[in-house]
Amino acid sequence: MAELLLDSKIRVWVFLPIVVITFLVGVVRHYVSILLSSKKKVELQQVQDSQVIIRSRSLREHGNYIPKQSFLMRRHFFNSEESGYFKTQKRVAVNQNPMTDPSMMTDMLKGNVTNVLPTIVIGGWINWMFSGFVTTKVPFPLTLRFKPMLQRGIELLSLDAAWVSSASWYFLNVFGLRSIYTLVLGENNAADQARHLQDQMSGAAMAMPPDPKAAFKAEWEALEICEHHWALANIENEILGLAGPFADSMYHQNKVE
Amino acid sequence: MDLYSNKMNWSEVQDLFRLWREENVRKSTEVVDLWERILQKKIHKLGDERLLVLEQVCVASLDCNRLEVADACLKALSTEFPTSLRIRKLKALKLEALERYDEALDVLDSIIKQDDTNAAPRKRRVAILRARGKIPDAIKELAEYLKKFMSDLEAWQELCDLYLFEQDFARAAFCMEELILHNPHSHLIHQRYADIRYTQGGFENMELARAHYCLALKLSPNNIRALYGLFLSATNIAISTKCTSVKKKENNKLAKWALNEINNRYEEQCGKSNQTAALEGLINSLQILSTGWFTVPPKPV
Repeated sequence: MAELLLDSKIRVWVFLPIVVITFLVGVVRHYVSILLSSKKKVELQQVQDSQVIIRSRSLREHGNYIPKQSFLMRRHFFNSEESGYFKTQKRVAVNQNPMTDPSMMTDMLKGNVTNVLPTIVIGGWINWMFSGFVTTKVPFPLTLRFKPMLQRGIELLSLDAAWVSSASWYFLNVFGLRSIYTLVLGENNAADQARHLQDQMSGAAMAMPPDPKAAFKAEWEALEICEHHWALANIENEILGLAGPFADSMYHQNKVE
Repeated sequence: MDLYSNKMNWSEVQDLFRLWREENVRKSTEVVDLWERILQKKIHKLGDERLLVLEQVCVASLDCNRLEVADACLKALSTEFPTSLRIRKLKALKLEALERYDEALDVLDSIIKQDDTNAAPRKRRVAILRARGKIPDAIKELAEYLKKFMSDLEAWQELCDLYLFEQDFARAAFCMEELILHNPHSHLIHQRYADIRYTQGGFENMELARAHYCLALKLSPNNIRALYGLFLSATNIAISTKCTSVKKKENNKLAKWALNEINNRYEEQCGKSNQTAALEGLINSLQILSTGWFTVPPKPV
């Protein structure tokens, strides 16, 4: 098969403009979303809930370092049937409809304006403006299966799969510019398309506040089955070098001696 | 202060300030001094960091009562952010420095009213009560704060201090336990917990103190205070009437070991000299003292 030779004008008027346009759109999107973003107001109740969970978690993890009485006292504070924190604090389960909450509606709208709209508009425009060009070639041979991915918009049976069409080049740019954005705009920038797409896939585009009721119940259960084995029971002998950690206690940290 | 000589240029000062800011170093006189001599003239070169430096200098100058410097910083910051809560906190800090506590409290209350998840002004309220010497009120206020912000380590530590002021050792120990739970691998926390238990006295507390001194030593073998503490608590248990003979033997062994370690440390440091002789005299006096309840192990000489 004869080698394909591309017009250098394709490089100047198609290949490079697509890169530049995608990059600039990403930068603009970053700044627009900063402009539009509204600061989330945190409720005092939420702060308190999360701090309680942190405290109870550290009790579970490091409870072995404090005396048994202190451990039981704290567990009683969290878990006691009559007066325990996790039992008496009633939280309303968060399952309100996002449609009824106006602030959530605006958040969703802003998300759509900054993410979905530009993707559709710019993607459509690129497709219309630069359609039908073969722009570049990947420097290694590919199998036929890659044809629909790399040659969107060009249905030529005889074309080698290594050639990339303009529309596919646009998509490669959209996903491939991530590290350049981190370089230019810093970490966690809003220009990152792939992240938004992932969000939408998993359906977590709207960050729901975690449900404290469920979290409390899970924490209550975990704390309930947590046993106390004092980590310092044998420390005197350890420090005298009489007995290192016992051979079997190396593997069962909570084993009673 | 000669350490930071005139030779430093402004970018070195900038780096130094950044380091101090990140590590929460309290070198207020140095900060104000460097600011006046070097950095003040170059402030326009700092870019956005300028504002952070201004805040830092403002707090530092209040700390060493250089009110005119603080005023200048506050003015510069206020023109930049007229409605900021952070600036208002600095203003409250200035009122505190002037000992106009009631006005400071009003300002702090207005901040809490606007943003009730803001922890800093609540802590300042406790600090004001402490500065006025109203320790019981400060304890009450801090306990109320800790009900909301339960995993604030700084606050637990402060509460422990306050309880120690009141000699309420059981509650101070509770606060220390909370710190252990959040950071179980810090030898200083274990050593302090053991100090408190030791001071509390009684057979069981003494055993707890011994265990935690041991852990502190395990985490950091060079903790001399923990070595002294281990020696004292072990002897204390050994001479207690509740002690069985087996335990007595163990504790004597432990005390001997600790004593030996202390000796070794001193020999490493100063060689075999008359200092070790002085140390032996000191330890003899400790053994006599260790029958009392309220002896705290002395700081290493």
